[in-house]
Amino acid sequence: MPSIKPIRPRFHLEVLSATQREAIKSATLRVLEQTGVKFPSERALRVFAEHGAWVDMATQIVRLPPDLVLEAMGRAPRSYVLTGRAEGTDLTLDGTCSYFGTDGCGTETLDFTTGERRPSCKEDVARMARVVDYLPSVAFYWPMVSAQDCGRLAPLHELDASFNSTAKHVQTETVMGARPAQYALRMGEVIAGDRERMRARPPFSVLICTIAPLGQDKEGIEAGMVYAEAGIPVGFMAMPNMGSTAPAVPGGALVVGNAEVVSALVLMQLVAPGAPVFHSILASVMNPRTAEYIVSTPEKYLCNAAAVHMAHDWGVPSLAGGFGVDAAEPASWQLGRDSVYSALMCTLAGTDMSVGLGMLGASTLLAPEQIIFDDEIYHTHRILAEGIDTSSDGLALDVIAKVGPRGHFLAQKHTRRHIQDLWIPELTHPRQPLDGTPMPGIQPRAKAKLDSILAEHQPQPLEEAAQAELRTILEAAAQELGS
Amino acid sequence: MSKEEIITRLAQSVIDGEPEDAVELAKQALDEGLDPLVCINQGLTAGINRVGELFASGEYFLPDLIIGGEAMKAALAVLEPALAGDQERQILGRVVLGTVRGDLHEIGKTLVGTMLTANGFLVTDIGIDKPAADFVSAAREANATLIGASALLTTTMPEQQKIVEELKEAGLRDQVRVMIGGAPITQGWADKIGADGYAEDAISAVALAKQLVGVPV
Ligand code: B12
Repeated sequence: MPSIKPIRPRFHLEVLSATQREAIKSATLRVLEQTGVKFPSERALRVFAEHGAWVDMATQIVRLPPDLVLEAMGRAPRSYVLTGRAEGTDLTLDGTCSYFGTDGCGTETLDFTTGERRPSCKEDVARMARVVDYLPSVAFYWPMVSAQDCGRLAPLHELDASFNSTAKHVQTETVMGARPAQYALRMGEVIAGDRERMRARPPFSVLICTIAPLGQDKEGIEAGMVYAEAGIPVGFMAMPNMGSTAPAVPGGALVVGNAEVVSALVLMQLVAPGAPVFHSILASVMNPRTAEYIVSTPEKYLCNAAAVHMAHDWGVPSLAGGFGVDAAEPASWQLGRDSVYSALMCTLAGTDMSVGLGMLGASTLLAPEQIIFDDEIYHTHRILAEGIDTSSDGLALDVIAKVGPRGHFLAQKHTRRHIQDLWIPELTHPRQPLDGTPMPGIQPRAKAKLDSILAEHQPQPLEEAAQAELRTILEAAAQELGS
Repeated sequence: MSKEEIITRLAQSVIDGEPEDAVELAKQALDEGLDPLVCINQGLTAGINRVGELFASGEYFLPDLIIGGEAMKAALAVLEPALAGDQERQILGRVVLGTVRGDLHEIGKTLVGTMLTANGFLVTDIGIDKPAADFVSAAREANATLIGASALLTTTMPEQQKIVEELKEAGLRDQVRVMIGGAPITQGWADKIGADGYAEDAISAVALAKQLVGVPV
């Protein structure tokens, strides 16, 4: 499998000054102390009460003293490793680079063969996992669509399809509820070997949404505690929507989102001190005329980059939303524009993780070849973020002197050596067919690349015994939870 | 203030989205002996219709629409109890609206409710995360002819089907139409579960609701 190529930015973007960062942090602490967050979970309320938070059992609203927040967040590790099951698939979250993942949980797929729109299914999850296993741009996999052919157990089947079809790290955003989480943990053990090895080398992680404004999901929060206790990295993502579920100003949206995420991360640290966690805010804007959910606006780009700073101010890794998931069609002008702002800005802000490759229609529609377009944008960002080499070889003084005024650099060894490093976008500048046949359009070329990956790339298979164990776990889950 | 002036200002309080003014004016109207039904029809309803026009023409944004609706609701709470026994405010239909069990997505449902209200329906919003049984009992209590059920998750869509089934069990299927919506919902799903209609957005939800209660669209 081609090795993962993370982005290692050499220069950084700061969208907030130190004073502004401090202002957001203290506003957040104030909201947590005075307004509070709703935790509709008895277990969570009990844990908070035991640790000195102000808990109102009737309204389920928890208010947190600033000291408690700071102390709990102080226990969360800044760096840890997400692992895959093949060599070279481990991701070290330590602030030196950005790893990207796909978008996830779509509900419809443009069929791989006919191109027709249809409900998504488990096989789509598996196929895209195989594509992702090949692409060096994608470091971890969010099951891209819902396994709607698997009934109530869809989330566990999405995990099964992913483990079977890619050796890369998998992040679920759907296995919620304390009982389903137990089955996910058993599946993780199969991949890692056993519970202790899973703790040291977690083959999957979890992203849970908070419920804007200032609320949590019972199933999410209860699953989160179970995962945190088992050492599975847990992230919380706030999705403040400016105008509807958040104030119509970026600063206010950040404060609300930050309070939601941090309240949940504090809980994780209370039940499992030192548990690996991450922080995520994916802001958006409400279309003021239709309430449509919009992620491609400048205010949201700013919020996403700012959220990265905030995560790092709390001393935990960040996950940012990248790419242009709003557009309705693949390969459009809109997609290009949106991907650049969203993905590039959070990369340069230094995010540890980002997601979003491969999806359209505000994260609802899987257009399989879109990931090929996004892959190309990703590599453009990767090279761009690496900046300019100003070593003596990079400044090329010798060869400039040698060629002198007028001449050309074509015949220089220095040129021959370095021209291979210049990254040429393959989709827009493909190799011409030698036999003179006309070049197909860009869309068919992307589709052809996707098809050839699907035809040729074989991910490192999961051992037969492990496959069988996963099946057994799914059967047991069906017994207990119903299918 | 003359009676005409009170009524004009009632309408204006809705257009401006000033619930406090609307309540004050409603009280004043009753003190001055105005007919509450006239206040509702010529004041509040005229106001909300104007808000609807301004929204449709793009001059108003959603918060204007929603705050206008709040002002109307606040004044109605004062005026309606004062209606004489045989008087009734004209409404297009009674709707019970909510998001199904297991689902916390609120915005789409709330928007549909606002648009229905602005267009003359009486909406009982039962909130989010509600089991099928709650829709059915709320429909019975409110004497509703329409249920609107929102589901944003593929895993919660089956609860919409349950609403249709439980309505049948309760013997209410003939009186109550069911309309469904939410990002993953399609006409195909509506047909499959035997719902009476599906709408893609809030504007078409209003058209659908009118059609289902037999009002010309
Ligand atoms: C905002 C959002 C949230 C917010 C909701 C905040 C709130 N207070 O409402 C938060 C962050 C809480 C959230 C949580 C989750 N979400 Co969410 N969310 C969304 C998002 C991005 C937008 C929804 C929205 O508000 N749209 C704007 C409104 C105006 O549009 P609308 O809801 O579609 O409503 C319109 C129409 O559908 C229609 N309509 C709606 N209802 C009705 C009802 C009737 C009767 C009619 C006629 C019409 C109608 O009219 C409305 C107005 O035009 C969607 C993606 C998307 N693009 O839809 C995902 C999405 C729905 N969520 C998703 C997921 C997975 C989740 C979580 C499980 C994530 C997690 N890991 O925790 C949780 C689930 C929580 C729960 N138990 O419900 C997935 C669902 C995928 C699937 N396979 O089902 C989606 C598709 C995103 C994705 N691809 O991941 N989410």
